Amino acid sequence: MTEAEEIRINEENKEFRDQVLGTPGAEKLMLCYQCGTCSSDCPIAKRVREFRPRNIARLAMYGQKERLLGGDLLWLCAGCYTCYERCPQEVHVSEIVSALRKLALSEGRVHPTIKALMGSLSEMGYVYEIGEFENEMRGEDGLPEAPQPDAKAVEAIMRRTGLLGRVGGE
Amino acid sequence: MRYALFVGCTTLSRLPGYEKSARRVAEKLGVELVDMPGSGCCGTTYMETLDHKTFLALAARNIAIAEEMGLDMVTVCNGCTEVLTKANKELKEDPELRREVNEILADTGKQFRGTQNVKHYVRMLREDVGLERIRAASVKPFRGLRVGAHYGCHLLKPREVMNFDDPEAPRSLDELIDATGAVSVNYPNKLECCAGPVMGIRENVTWKVGLDKVQTVKKYADILVTNCPFCYLTYERCQFMTENSPKVPVVHIPQLLGLAMGIEPDDLGIGSNKVDASIMMEKQGA
Repeated sequence: MTEAEEIRINEENKEFRDQVLGTPGAEKLMLCYQCGTCSSDCPIAKRVREFRPRNIARLAMYGQKERLLGGDLLWLCAGCYTCYERCPQEVHVSEIVSALRKLALSEGRVHPTIKALMGSLSEMGYVYEIGEFENEMRGEDGLPEAPQPDAKAVEAIMRRTGLLGRVGGE
Repeated sequence: MRYALFVGCTTLSRLPGYEKSARRVAEKLGVELVDMPGSGCCGTTYMETLDHKTFLALAARNIAIAEEMGLDMVTVCNGCTEVLTKANKELKEDPELRREVNEILADTGKQFRGTQNVKHYVRMLREDVGLERIRAASVKPFRGLRVGAHYGCHLLKPREVMNFDDPEAPRSLDELIDATGAVSVNYPNKLECCAGPVMGIRENVTWKVGLDKVQTVKKYADILVTNCPFCYLTYERCQFMTENSPKVPVVHIPQLLGLAMGIEPDDLGIGSNKVDASIMMEKQGA
């Protein structure tokens, strides 16, 4: 992150904040009183200086879209639900992160790793290839063949909900 | 006891020792695990954060297969467990959502009805098999083996979804370990997440989180026991990302249980664990 800059809230920021507030799971954002329980217990925050759940909540309240959606910030949440369990205001920063990821997705700004994962899922019905080679290995380990997922059905689901289009899988 | 077995992508493709030991131990306890034809990825915990309907529909397609089999589902991955449990709960509780999701599923030949339950292998052992039977089956108990238990996150959280054990002070896994004669120890930051989901974003962060845990466990225990493929892979692999490997064996819970039950190490895939786990066999009574 570069040097901190003064934050002035403009119309664009307010609009983004409203977008966040309108996304399911983020309804309680404005109840956050910045106690920092989330940051102090976060396994990622302990090791990554720029990842602070409390800051994510504050930046969302200030509608700081680029600081939130740029880079890999949102994708560093491990989804461990520690902040979710411990938030005294039930703001649940993990849910704020989910809401922000949805907004990122709506602009096609999904982390390349996640994008690739979605691609594999729609092509194979699994996130890793489990084909002839893998099944041969499984046989050697005394395991039965892996179930063959109905990949067409999986792809149909992802197409029908519009996810594939948004993630850039087509 | 009969269940539909949902193994999940990571275990299916990368952790034969976990799957094999889970199957053998179930067999030993008289639990029948039936494979689920046509099942695939649970949908991933990432999908939960990205798109609600896709997450629900992908999970519902898998649950529908268990429904057709007329069996409750048993999972071995914390991630799959949370995804499938949350989707099952939401769809059972909300008829309108169920209708919408079934519409998405229309062309797949599957429909969600809401007739079955989903539970993690550990939960199945605790709630359906019971500690008594596991204790009784442990004919080759451990003597003086100290174990660091790692629950991971999604076996227990979010609390109101998983509705199992106490996420802030869990005992379910510790008690399973104790039932084998081994001693489950307390150690600092026992409940910390493995950060596996960040491996594909910033690998070094995951290795750092992993090594912190493994190095802590080394001070208190002989091995680390997990019940999730992601946690397992994190704690095992991180030890190969440093010059001073702590060399703490990482072991799947059914491997520990199986050895105590007198199942051969080969039959539990112990050889596929990347950190030598022979200390377990050394600490077994006759």
